[in-house]
Amino acid sequence: MAAPPEPGEPEERKSLKLLGFLDVENTPCARHSILYGSLGSVVAGFGHFLFTSEIRRSCDVGVGGFILVTLGCWFHCRYNYAKQRIQERIAREEIKKKILYEGTHLDPERKHNGSSSN
Amino acid sequence: MAHAAQVGLQDATSPIMEELITFHDHALMVIFLICFLVLYALFLTLTTKLTNTNISDAQEMETVWTILPAIILVLIALPSLRILYMTDEVNDPSLTIKSIGHQWYWTYEYTDYGGLIFNSYMLPPLFLEPGDLRLLDVDNRVVLPIETPIRMMITSQDVLHSWAVPTLGLKTDAIPGRLNQTTFTATRPGVYYGQCSEICGANHSFMPIVLELIPLKIFEMGPVFTL
Repeated sequence: MAAPPEPGEPEERKSLKLLGFLDVENTPCARHSILYGSLGSVVAGFGHFLFTSEIRRSCDVGVGGFILVTLGCWFHCRYNYAKQRIQERIAREEIKKKILYEGTHLDPERKHNGSSSN
Repeated sequence: MAHAAQVGLQDATSPIMEELITFHDHALMVIFLICFLVLYALFLTLTTKLTNTNISDAQEMETVWTILPAIILVLIALPSLRILYMTDEVNDPSLTIKSIGHQWYWTYEYTDYGGLIFNSYMLPPLFLEPGDLRLLDVDNRVVLPIETPIRMMITSQDVLHSWAVPTLGLKTDAIPGRLNQTTFTATRPGVYYGQCSEICGANHSFMPIVLELIPLKIFEMGPVFTL
C-alpha cells in the first residue's frame, strides 16, 4: 500500500480485494488474469453443458477452466511484465549514462558510432 | 512508512524489495486460486445428494491430490529460492555501517572514512516537533547515500534485537557476541522507518530505526567524510 500520491503522480486505484486479500486493482496482471479466467470459465462450462447437458459436471469444468486460464494468463502476463521492467531499467541506465558522459570519451553514443564505423 | 491500518507491503526502495513484492503477488495469486478451489469443494460437499458412506478406493483422486500440491509447492519454491540467493549476492559495498542494539536504542558507527559514532534514541512525545511521527522519529537518523551498495554489520550489546526496515526488505537479528551482515542498495531518496523486531524488554516498541537516504554528492559533503 502506498503513501498518498504526490501531485503529478498517477492516483492509486481504489482497491478491490477478491476473497478479502487479492487486490486486483493494484496488483499488476491480476485484473487481466481474473477477467480472462472468468471468460474462460464461462466458455468452458457453457460449452461443456451444450455438449453434455450435465449441470454439475459443467460447473466442475467451469471451475477447472477458471483456474487453468487464470494461471496461464497470470504467468504469461507476469513474464512480459518482468521483461518490460528489465527493459525500462536498461533504458533508464542508458539515459543516465548519456546525460552523465555526453561529450566525453565515455559517451556511449561515441563508442557505438566508433565501433560501427570500424 | 506504513499508514494507519495498512496490511499490505510498503513501496519498495531497493531492488530486493521489488523482487519480494513481485513474489508476494505471485504467491497471493496461487493462494487465491487454492482458496477458490477449496470453497468450491466445500460448496459441493454441502449441496450434494450423494450419501454413500462405503466409498473406500479413489486411487486416481488420491494421485491427483498428491501430485498437484507438489507441483504448486515447486511453483512457489523456485521464485522464493531465486530471491533468497539474490540477497546473498556479493555486490562490493562502498560503505560499511555498524549497527549495535542496546536496551533500548541503537548505536551507529561510520568508521570507514573517519570515526563517526552516535546513538539513536526515539524522540519522547514531549520533544516532538509539529509534523514529527510519534514513536517513530529519532534524535539522530542514519544518513546514507542512495544508489550505493551499503553493508550493514549488526550486533547487540545486551539482549536480542532485530534491525528492520520494511521498505528496503531488510530484517536482520542483532545477536550479542555475533556479527550479522546485510547489504542493500537504495534506489530513491527519502526518510524511511523501521522498528526493532525482536522482543528485548519493556521498551522494545520504543527503539525505532530511521534512515535518511540522500544523493551521494550531498552525502559526501557530510560529517562522514569531513569529521
